[in-house]
Amino acid sequence: MIEVENIEDQNGLRPDGRRALELRQIRVKMGVFGQADGSAYIEQGNTKILVTVYGPHQPRGSTGRSTSNITKGIVNCQYSMAVFSLSSGERKRKPRGDRKSQERSLQLKHAMEAIIHLEIYPRSQIDIYVEALQVDGSEYCASVNAATLALIDAGIPIKNYAIGCTVTLINNPSLEDEDNALGKGVLDANYVEECTPGVTLSVVALPNNDSTSKDGLIVVAQGAGQRLHLSQFESLKARVLYGCQDIRTILDYAVREYLTEQSLPSLFHVALN
Amino acid sequence: MPVDQRRINGPEVSVPYHIYSDFNKKSDKVKHDFSKRSDKRIDSEIRKIFLKTGIVSQAKGSAYIEMGNTKVVCSVFDPRELSNKNGYCMQGEIYCEFKFAPFSCQKRKIHQQNAEEKQYSLILQRALEPAVCLHEFPNFQVDVYVMVLDNAGSSLAAAIMAASTALANAGVPMFGLVTASTIGIYGNHYLMDPTDTEEAICNTQPDNEDDFNHGIITLASLPQHNQISEVFLIGSIDTNTIKQATEILTAANKDICPVLQQCLVKTIMKLHNEKK
Amino acid sequence: MAETVLSSGEKIFILHGIDADFRNDGRRRCEYRSMEIETKLMPQTHGSARLHIGNTDILVGIKVELDIPHADKPNEGKLEFFVDCSATATPAFEGKGGDDLATEISNVLIAAYQTRNAFDLKTLCILPHKKCWKIYVDVLILQCGGNLFDAVGIAVKAALNSTEIPKITAATLDGGEPDIELSDDCIQLDTSNYPIIITLCKIGDNYIVDPTLEEEVCSTSSIVMSVLPNGKISSVVKLGCGSIQFNTFTKMLQMGEIIGLKLNKTLMDVLKEENQFGRQRRIFGFLK
Repeated sequence: MIEVENIEDQNGLRPDGRRALELRQIRVKMGVFGQADGSAYIEQGNTKILVTVYGPHQPRGSTGRSTSNITKGIVNCQYSMAVFSLSSGERKRKPRGDRKSQERSLQLKHAMEAIIHLEIYPRSQIDIYVEALQVDGSEYCASVNAATLALIDAGIPIKNYAIGCTVTLINNPSLEDEDNALGKGVLDANYVEECTPGVTLSVVALPNNDSTSKDGLIVVAQGAGQRLHLSQFESLKARVLYGCQDIRTILDYAVREYLTEQSLPSLFHVALN
Repeated sequence: MPVDQRRINGPEVSVPYHIYSDFNKKSDKVKHDFSKRSDKRIDSEIRKIFLKTGIVSQAKGSAYIEMGNTKVVCSVFDPRELSNKNGYCMQGEIYCEFKFAPFSCQKRKIHQQNAEEKQYSLILQRALEPAVCLHEFPNFQVDVYVMVLDNAGSSLAAAIMAASTALANAGVPMFGLVTASTIGIYGNHYLMDPTDTEEAICNTQPDNEDDFNHGIITLASLPQHNQISEVFLIGSIDTNTIKQATEILTAANKDICPVLQQCLVKTIMKLHNEKK
Repeated sequence: MAETVLSSGEKIFILHGIDADFRNDGRRRCEYRSMEIETKLMPQTHGSARLHIGNTDILVGIKVELDIPHADKPNEGKLEFFVDCSATATPAFEGKGGDDLATEISNVLIAAYQTRNAFDLKTLCILPHKKCWKIYVDVLILQCGGNLFDAVGIAVKAALNSTEIPKITAATLDGGEPDIELSDDCIQLDTSNYPIIITLCKIGDNYIVDPTLEEEVCSTSSIVMSVLPNGKISSVVKLGCGSIQFNTFTKMLQMGEIIGLKLNKTLMDVLKEENQFGRQRRIFGFLK
């Protein structure tokens, strides 16, 4: 069992030294595999996710026989966790096929359908395979981020970045100050923080390009944990969109750096830092 | 291990009782005397083979083999087209299923195939494929089902021979017959056609010796063409010993071939005489 | 991996190249592609390794747990292999598509580590009849570029080499119940005699090691053998639907043994070199 330590510190810091709105370190690599059409690897703190994209290609199996794919393409997602991926120490029995993985696959599919222009791929199928190598909190959101990058690497046109971020509201009874920064929800929780009593909201949003309005369209939202009172929902939503905006900036920079390296001829060596 | 919900498998924490009864006898079994084997055979002698075809009336071809106490039955069914296969295959396919009957071994086996049986099924398939003319039935699949009724050693070799005879009995076009035999290696003893106790001994290494050859080699070959169709080795053996052992096995396989041929000839003659 | 479709002209080209001891990528028949290996990249496991050879990518994670020994083998611990073919390798592995290949690879691993000469299960026993270590070796196949068995064998050996099992300071029977105390120090496994798996692919009249996907399609049969560092062979299986001559089989075995010993020596040298960096080594994982 995870021991709940006193989350609140004197300076408003979390157990790993972050502030309420601070994200974990994000490291990205695109084009990891040569054989797949597109691939990306993301590390958000200790959460490591690998995503590959195959497609668009002819639909296989039973999905090919349905008539709905005549006007637009099909997105097929599979969410799989490595057997040794849990950071809580125990070993997972089956990598995929259990209820949680199937639910995540379906939600990932919804998220991807929102950003891919499916109407330019009639009668085709795009496969997105997620492999979670290490799981330390907000793995679903990290997989959405990695899937967006893999789609970019595969050259599939998308409407916007689909960015996932989690916000956790910790039900700490010793909270006296209502304006306490931690009391309004912390971003990008790791496994220990997710296990504490409270609510974790995972949100996938399509953030707006301009950094002035911290707003965007929310595509998928999922809550886990205890009950959430509706009065606290708006503030959580504002925080998570702020987080999505930040992650978008980081990923955008990484994508531009990768594409510049790839496309610039070797004669011109551009220092990007 | 898949859970079988339709049959009563016994409580999960149960263990066979004889592991407790053998405890006192185990310490006496340190030295194994291989100068004479338990059934009075010499090292290079295989057990007597009894082979009969046409055992299973519902199957297109079938065979029953007995090697000592090992009893294996095999049935082969007509080539059939697979419904969920997409694309046209220029070659036919053989689908093999190998299964130990639950009562056949010392320890009870469950009704579904475990990993070892799946591996034996693949070995059986690879042993038979070089012998079958796959181009004669494109896009079709021939099913071969093997069940071991009594496992008293070298059941894989017996299964391969039973399957080969059953395929010939079913009239599947073949390039030749497949014969198989097993050898157990323990130190410098080469035991042909080991029984199950000898197999268990050959699978373990004695405690004090490190540079010790031990293992079991199963070899399936097409004796009429001098080709090896499948090799399966488990243990810890050096290459020279493997070379010698495979030479012995190839020679043995060649000697067994007439047994299969005579059995098939007998079947044809019987059919011919019945028609008269 | 039947995704690669080759025309007969390409197959003949590969065949003639191998006859002339010059393969498509310029290698000779007995040469391996260059490999990249990294251990200890997954901090939540007790040991891990990642192997990258050509287009093949394998990730192995080792977890160690306490368990009760089998009733008929009270002095031995347990070693369990689990292979997962991820759909990232090819869409055909989605769902249960990769299960057949996974079972085959795990059977080869079980056969290779079965003998006591390679892996002595008695070293994993803590209290006979009561407590033993159970080692789970989990292999994740991320990309298939040919020669899966060899890559898995090397990655498993490297991962087991980097495994750290907590040291047991006290193990007593307290009124019939086992009482175990673990310390923070770790012990390493003695991997000096762990097997290396070598695949020899027969194409035409010759045999090659480390086939690429295209070369695998051209071959009718191959021998997968596991070589122990002391020169013994712990398992041999023939794959493929073709048959081999006896002389060819003997020659393949001998070549496999020589290559296996050489490969093992190189692997242990590389792992020792990596170990010398100590705990300050920067772990790249998939970022490089």
